[in-house]
Amino acid sequence: MDYKYIEQLLERYWECQTTLEEEAILRTFFRQEDVPASLLPYRQLFLEEDAMASEHLGKDFADRMLQLVRQTGQTQAAEEENPSAGLRLAEGYVCKAQRLTVMRRLRPFYRVAGLVALLLGIGSAIQQSFTEEDEASVPQMAEAAHIDSLQHITISSPVEQSAALSPHTSDTLNAQAR
Amino acid sequence: MDNVSFQTTVLPLSDRLFRLALRVTMNRAEAEDVVQDTLLRVWERRSEWRQIDNLEAFAIATCRNRALDVAKRAGRNTVPLDKVEGSHLSASGTQRALEAREQLSLVRRLMDSLPELQRTIMLLRDIEGQSYGEIAKELGISETQVKVYLHRARTKVREGIKN
Repeated sequence: MDYKYIEQLLERYWECQTTLEEEAILRTFFRQEDVPASLLPYRQLFLEEDAMASEHLGKDFADRMLQLVRQTGQTQAAEEENPSAGLRLAEGYVCKAQRLTVMRRLRPFYRVAGLVALLLGIGSAIQQSFTEEDEASVPQMAEAAHIDSLQHITISSPVEQSAALSPHTSDTLNAQAR
Repeated sequence: MDNVSFQTTVLPLSDRLFRLALRVTMNRAEAEDVVQDTLLRVWERRSEWRQIDNLEAFAIATCRNRALDVAKRAGRNTVPLDKVEGSHLSASGTQRALEAREQLSLVRRLMDSLPELQRTIMLLRDIEGQSYGEIAKELGISETQVKVYLHRARTKVREGIKN
C-alpha cells in the first residue's frame, strides 16, 4: 500500500500547514492497527491525543454545579428581597458581607464628638450668662453704698461725732488743752 | 441571549474547560475546582453576555487564567507522568500493549514537558480541534504567534519521538 499521501500530510502537520480536516484524516489513519513501521512511532502521539480528548469530569460534577447555581440564585433572590438581613440557607447561615467606609467606621466617634461639643456649648452659654449678671450687679451695689455713706455723713452732727469719741480720747485731748 | 439557562449554555463547556485546566494545573482535583470557579463566574456575569463577543472564548480565557494562578501558587509547570492522573490506558498482558503503554508514556511525558503556552495551544488545536483564529482569540495573541508556538511544540514532540 502506498502511504505517500499520509507521509506528505504528516510532514505538513509538523509544519503546521494542515487544515483541521486533513488533521482529522491523519487521526483516523493512525487509529487503525495496520500502520507501516516507518510511521508507527508517530501513531502513539495521535492515540495519546485521543486519550486526552476523552478525559472528562465525574458524573456528579454537573449535579453539584446545578446545586451550587441554585443556591447562588436563592441567595441573590433573597438579597434582592431583603438586602439588610443575613440569609439562612438549607446548609447553614450565610452572612451578608458589608463594605465599611472610613466615614461609616468613624460614625460613633462623630456622635461622641457632637455630644461633647453640644455640652461645651451649653456650659459656655450658662457661664456667660452668669458672668453678665455679676457684671451688671456690681455697679448697682457700689452706687447704693455711696448713697448710704452720704446719708450717714449728712445726718450725723458734730456733737454726735465728738460723743462718738471714746472717753480716753477725750481726756487726752483735755489734758493737751490745759 | 435572553432565554439562557445554566444547564444549556454554560454547563456543556465543563469537559472542555476541565481538559484545559488539567493540562495547565496537571492535577485533577485542582482542575475540577478551577472549572467550578470558572462556570460560576461565567454564570454570575450573564447580564454582561451581550457585551461579550464569544462566550466560549471568554470562558476558556477565564479558565486558563485561573488555572495558571493555581499552577503558579503550586510552583508547577510540569509534573512527571506517574503523578499525572486521568490516564485511560487499560492494562493488557500482551507485549504489544505494554510497548504501546511505554510509548504513550513517552509521548505524554514529552507533551507535559512543553512550556505551558505551547502545551495549551497543542491541546486546543489537536485535542479540541479549534481553528488558529479561535485559539488566537482565546489566548489574546495573533494567529501567526499561535502557529509559531504550535510549530515549536510539534517539533519538540517529533524530535523526542525520533530520539
